[in-house]
Amino acid sequence: MTLDWGRAERDALADPHGYADAASQARILIVEDDETIAALLGRELRGLGHTVDHVRFAEDALMAARANDYALMIVDLGLPDGDGLDLVREMRRRTMEAPILMLTARRRVEDRVIGLSSGADDYLVKPFAVPEMRARVTALLRRPSRLKGHRIAIANMVVDSDALEAVVDGISLALPRKQFQLLELLARRKNHMTPKRMIEEALYGFDDEVTANSIEAQVSKLRRALVGAGADLMIETRRGIGYRLVGLDAASN
Amino acid sequence: MARAPEPSASDLKVLDPDGRFRERLEADRRAIAELGDNGDLSELKRIVHGLAGAAGTFGYGAVGDIAIALDDRLVAGETVGAPGIARLLAALEQALGKPGKSA
Repeated sequence: MTLDWGRAERDALADPHGYADAASQARILIVEDDETIAALLGRELRGLGHTVDHVRFAEDALMAARANDYALMIVDLGLPDGDGLDLVREMRRRTMEAPILMLTARRRVEDRVIGLSSGADDYLVKPFAVPEMRARVTALLRRPSRLKGHRIAIANMVVDSDALEAVVDGISLALPRKQFQLLELLARRKNHMTPKRMIEEALYGFDDEVTANSIEAQVSKLRRALVGAGADLMIETRRGIGYRLVGLDAASN
Repeated sequence: MARAPEPSASDLKVLDPDGRFRERLEADRRAIAELGDNGDLSELKRIVHGLAGAAGTFGYGAVGDIAIALDDRLVAGETVGAPGIARLLAALEQALGKPGKSA
């Protein structure tokens, strides 16, 4: 086996159709306690133009995944504070939907099957060849993302625009149409201020009568619904500007 | 097909540009050598498991192959005798350019 490849050959092997451009500058989380492997992954992925965060512990991975909108998570199965399989299951239970590439030193077929059934999207057995890792990452990033389409995940909630449904911790949250529209808009702009005028335009037609406190009333009802459903979210008010939907973790920082 | 015993300079330039993995190999070699016959089994398992996953990735195929064979035995609850440890040490020394030290 030769490992002597040049940059052009490595690029061709990893991305023969140039799909990497389409998935460039993705934010990727690496959960790996082996510092040398993590450093190698980080170097390679940054070389592809991605932003990379690295944590060593499962607990830190959950916090990072809640605070950031990752396009991909690479999770090693042997972590110091727990089994990576449990971490993957917990991420899926908390409706974290970014693709997960499982890194495993477990070479048995049944271990890989268990990993995929736990919620991982693909696996890479260690030791791995770097061009294969790059190709798998690129392939996962160019998949139509469940996040990019009509499902928006934030904290422990998923807003599904196709099903017109919000789901908190796996339980459907029944909302009247206007409140759902408001939630969807705020979720699409999560962590960013949404001006009141933008909300008015999204919720009301030209012929609708909008009173001075129509938006405040809808926001107030939505806040109560989110609290009642146990959503780890809050709607912040910036007087004179608008509203912002944030995870409770982010809000407390 | 036979594996290259150690990575070429161009491999290392790409895979281990700052030499951190080579430093780790040296630290692992010392640790295994110091464990001796009555060493800490959990420490041996940790080192062998790490080498099984990482050595081949960085191009140290011979070290990786031996570590994988030992790791499979340790994971299965089997014992790893002195000859197995000696083979791993010899492969590490070969990779680090120190052949014959463990002989």
